[in-house]
Amino acid sequence: MARKKTNTEETIRAVSGVELAQGLGVREARGFWAEAWGQVLRKPIAVVSIAWICVVAFFAIFSPILASGHPLILRELDATGAVIATSSPLLRYLSSADILLLIGGVLGPIWILLRLRLPRSNRALMLLIGALQAGIISVVGGIIASMVTKRDVADWVREMEQGRLFVPLASAAIGGVISAVFLAVPTTGRFLVRLGFVAFVGLVAAWSVSVTWNPKLSNFDYRQREAAGEVRAVYTVIPFSPTQSSSSLYLKHPGTLMSEALPEDEARASAGDPVFLLGTDGVGQDVLSQMLHASRLSISVGFVSTSIAVVIGVTIGALMGYFGGWVDLLLYRIVEIFMAIPVLFLLIVAAAVLPRNTYVMMAIIGCVTWTGAARFVRAEFLKLRNQDFVQAARSAGLPLRSILFKHMLPNGVTPVLVDASFAIALAILIEAILSFLGLGPDGQPSWGKLLANATSDVGAFVWWLAIFPGLAILLTVLAYNLIGEALRDAIDPKLKKARV
Amino acid sequence: MGTYILRRILLMIPTLIGITFLVFMLVALSPGGIGASLKFTAGGQMDQTSAAIQQAYLEDRYGLDDPPIVQYVRWLGRISPIKFGTRDQVAPDGERIALPKALKPPLLWSWFADELPAEPDNPTHAWPTDEWASQGLDRKQIAFAKSQTFRGVTNEYARARSGYIGAKARFEQAVAHYAKSPGVDLPRAVKSDGKPRERVLRKAGPDKAAPAWPELAQAGEAMIDAYERAQLARADKLAVFRAKPYREAGIGIIPGSLSLATPDFGVSFSRSRPVMDLIKEALPVTLLINLMAFPIIYLVAIPSGMLAAVRQGGWFDLLSGATFIALLSFPIMLAGVLAIGYLANQEFLGWFPVSGLSDAAADGFTFLPSLGADGEWQRGWIVDRMWHIALPVACLTYGGFAVLAKQTRAAMLDNFNADYVRTAKAKGVSRHDVIYRHVFRNSLLPLITIFVSIFPAMLSGSVVIESIFTIPGMGKLTIDAINLRDRELVLANALMIGGLNLLALLVADILYAFADPRISYD
Repeated sequence: MARKKTNTEETIRAVSGVELAQGLGVREARGFWAEAWGQVLRKPIAVVSIAWICVVAFFAIFSPILASGHPLILRELDATGAVIATSSPLLRYLSSADILLLIGGVLGPIWILLRLRLPRSNRALMLLIGALQAGIISVVGGIIASMVTKRDVADWVREMEQGRLFVPLASAAIGGVISAVFLAVPTTGRFLVRLGFVAFVGLVAAWSVSVTWNPKLSNFDYRQREAAGEVRAVYTVIPFSPTQSSSSLYLKHPGTLMSEALPEDEARASAGDPVFLLGTDGVGQDVLSQMLHASRLSISVGFVSTSIAVVIGVTIGALMGYFGGWVDLLLYRIVEIFMAIPVLFLLIVAAAVLPRNTYVMMAIIGCVTWTGAARFVRAEFLKLRNQDFVQAARSAGLPLRSILFKHMLPNGVTPVLVDASFAIALAILIEAILSFLGLGPDGQPSWGKLLANATSDVGAFVWWLAIFPGLAILLTVLAYNLIGEALRDAIDPKLKKARV
Repeated sequence: MGTYILRRILLMIPTLIGITFLVFMLVALSPGGIGASLKFTAGGQMDQTSAAIQQAYLEDRYGLDDPPIVQYVRWLGRISPIKFGTRDQVAPDGERIALPKALKPPLLWSWFADELPAEPDNPTHAWPTDEWASQGLDRKQIAFAKSQTFRGVTNEYARARSGYIGAKARFEQAVAHYAKSPGVDLPRAVKSDGKPRERVLRKAGPDKAAPAWPELAQAGEAMIDAYERAQLARADKLAVFRAKPYREAGIGIIPGSLSLATPDFGVSFSRSRPVMDLIKEALPVTLLINLMAFPIIYLVAIPSGMLAAVRQGGWFDLLSGATFIALLSFPIMLAGVLAIGYLANQEFLGWFPVSGLSDAAADGFTFLPSLGADGEWQRGWIVDRMWHIALPVACLTYGGFAVLAKQTRAAMLDNFNADYVRTAKAKGVSRHDVIYRHVFRNSLLPLITIFVSIFPAMLSGSVVIESIFTIPGMGKLTIDAINLRDRELVLANALMIGGLNLLALLVADILYAFADPRISYD
C-alpha cells in the first residue's frame, strides 16, 4: 500500500530493472474468481439474469409482508367509533422462518456493504454460516415445538409445556446448544467478533422460535368485521394470503376487482376494492400472492439442495480421486448406480414415499443429484494427486483432511462451482416437476402446483394458471443457465480458444 | 471386444442390484412401508377383528410380515436366473409353483402348551402308476389326475393355513385386550399398530389370575390347534409336491440345490396380474414415443448445429444459440400444458386429441387410411396413432434437440482449430470439402455418446408427458406403483428402467468403438 502511494506522488523518474521486475506500475492482479466475475458482469444478458434472480430472491424474502390477508394495522373500534386498541395481525402471524428471513434480508446487505476492517469475503462467509445457524435453530425449534404440543403427548410433557417459563427456556436452550456448535466454525480469526456474531444470530433465532412456539390458526374475517364496524384495517400491497380461499372467488380472470367477483352484499362488506392482478385459481386463492410466496420455495430448494449435492459430491469425489484403486472402484459403483437410474425416477419414488415437506424435498434432490460434482472432483484430483505440492503436503505429514480440503480442493473445485449454476437450475426445474406431479411439499404454494391446475381431466384450460407460473419457472431456470453459461465462458479457456 | 462386452454386462449386475436395493429400501423404510395399499383395501365396513384377519392373511400371502431385507433377498432369489434349493414346478397354465413356505411358530405358545406340536414325519407320496396303467389312462389323463391331487392338497393346505393365520390374528387381538386389561396393565406390550411386543410379554410372564386370562387362554389354545392342523396339511402338500405332479422349471445343474430358470417377477399386489404382463403393455408405449423422438432430434439438431458452427458469429449462430438455451430451460410440463391448452383444447384450436394413444373406435379402423363404405375417408389405425402421439413426441424432442445441436456446434468448432484442417486448407481443399468431408465426419463421433445423456433425460421426461397426456406407459405405471407401494411392480420397474439405461450406455460405447478406429476396448 505504502509503495503505491509514493508512486503516485513522485514525479517521473528512471525505473530500474529490479523495480520493473517487481511489477511497478502494473495493475495489481485480481483473484481468479474476481477476474471471472468481472468477465461475467461485462455481458449484458448475464447482468439481466442476475437482476432477475435478485428480484425473485427479494420476493422470496419479503413476500410475507408484501402479500398477506392479515392487515398491517388493525384498529379495534368501540360502539361509538373510537379506537380502543391497535395491533398488527400481519406481524403476529409471521412464522419463525419469515421473521429470520426478514431480519436477515434487511441486516445482511448492510453487513456486507458496510465499510469495516474485516474483509468482505470474510463477512460473506460469516453471513452464510450465520444463515445456516439460524436456519437450523428455526427448524429444530419448530420440530421440538410440534413434538411437545402434539395432541397425544404424555401428561408430564403437557404439564411442563404449560409452565410459564418453559417456552423461553426451551428456545434459549435450543439456540444456545446450536450456537455453541457454530462457535467452533472458524469463519474469522478474531474470536471476539465471531463470538458476538454467533451470539447475535443465536439470540435472534431463539427469540423467533419462542414467539412462534404455538402456531396460530389463521382466519380471515377482517372484512366482515370491518363491514360490521368493529375494526378498521390497513392492508399491505397485495391483501391476500396464498392460503386464503373463498368458493365465490373461483377461477376469476386476471384483473378482476373484488367488487366484480363477489355478490352484491358481500362486496359492500369489504372496504376498499382490491384487484386480483393475476386472477384466482380453482379454490379461489389469489394467484399473484401464491406466486410470490412460491418464489421462496424455488430459490431455497435451488440453493440448499445444490449445496447438499456439492458437499456430498466433493467429499466422495475427493476420496475417489485421491485414493484411486479399490476405493475408487467401490465408490464409483455407487456413482454408477445413481447414474444408471434416471434422476427423476428415483426422485419420484423418494418424494412419493417420504413425508411431503420442504426440507425432505431439498434433502432428496441434493442426495440424488451429487454425481456430477463427484465426477468433476474425481477427475481433477486424479490429475492433482501426483503434483509436487500434494506430494510435499503428504511428506510433511499433514492430516488427510488438510491435504484433501486445504491443498487439493481449492485447485480442483472450479468445474464444480461453474456447474453449480446449472445444478441450481436443474434443482428448481425438478422441484417444479415434482410439485406438478402432486409430490411437492404439502400446504405450500408452488409454481409447479399452480401450473398443474391449468389443465384438468375434463379438458378445461385456464390460461392464467399456465402462463404466469410457467413463465416464472422458465425465466428463473433460464437466468441460472445463462449465468452458468457466462461463468463457463469466462473460466474455461478451451472454449474461449474455440471461439476465436 | 467380446470380453469387453461380457465384462460390462457382468458389471451391470451389481449396479442393477444396487438400484433395486436403493429403491426397495427407500419404499420399505418410509412411513407406511411396503404394501401400504393393502392396508387400505383391507379396511372398509368390516369390524376390527375380521379386518385384522384379512390383513394378516394378505401379509402372509405376500410375505410382508418378514423384515424388509428378507423380502428383498427373496425377491432377488426369484428374479435371479441361477436358483438355489428345490426347483419350482410349472403348471400347464404357466403358473410357477414354489415349495410351500414354512409356517411361523405361534407366539407365546409356551403359555398354553408344554411343547409345540412336533412337525409331522414327512409322509411320502407315490403316484399309483400301476393302477393307472391297468386302467389304460394315457399321458394327458395321468397329468390331469396328478394335478387334481395337487389342487386338492393345495386347497386343503390353503384352508388350514388361513385358519392358522386367522387364529393368530384373533390371538393378537386377545393379547392386546389382555395387556390393557386391569390387573395386567402392560400398555408397553402393544405396539401402536395393535401388534404385541413378544419380548415384553415373555418377560412379564402369564398372569393366570387376571380376569382377561380365560379369553386369552381360549384364543391361545385355538391358535395352537390351528397351527397343528396347518402343519399336517403342509406335510401332505409337501409330499405331493416332492412327488412332482408338474414338470420342473428351468434346467437342473446339481439336483436339488442348483438350477437355471427364467426370472419370475411375481404378481402385482394392486392389480393382481403378473408384473411381466403389465410391463409388456407399458414398455412398448414408452419406447414408441421415445424412439419416435430420436430420429427427429438427430435430423433437426445436426444440420442446425452445423449451420451455426459454419456461420460462427453470424445472425443464425446468435439466434440459434439463444434459442437452444431457451429450449433447454423450457420446463417440459409447461410445454405439455401449453400444447394441450392451445393445440388440443376444443375452445382454442382443437387440432389434436387431448389424451390417450388412440381413438375409442380405433379397433375398428383399417391399418392404412382407406375409403370407407359410406364414401368417407377413414384415417386408419396408423394415422390415428400418429395423430395421438404427435404432441407428446413434440414435447419430448425439443430438450434433446437443444443439447444435441449445442454439442454439434461445439464439436465442429473444436475440429476447425485442429491441425488436420489447417493442413487440408493448405493443400487447397475447397471450403465445402473441408467442412463436409473432414470436419463434419470427425465431429459426428462425440454425438454418438450424447445419446447416453439424452436417453435417461427423455425417459424422465416421458414420466411427465405420460401423466399430462394420460398415456399408459412406464412412467404412469411407475407413479401408480409407488403410490400404491406395490413391491413387485416398483422393483420390476426400477430394474427395467435401470437396465434399459445401462444397455443404452453400453450400446453407445460399442458404437463409439465402431465409429472411431482409434478406440479399442481390448
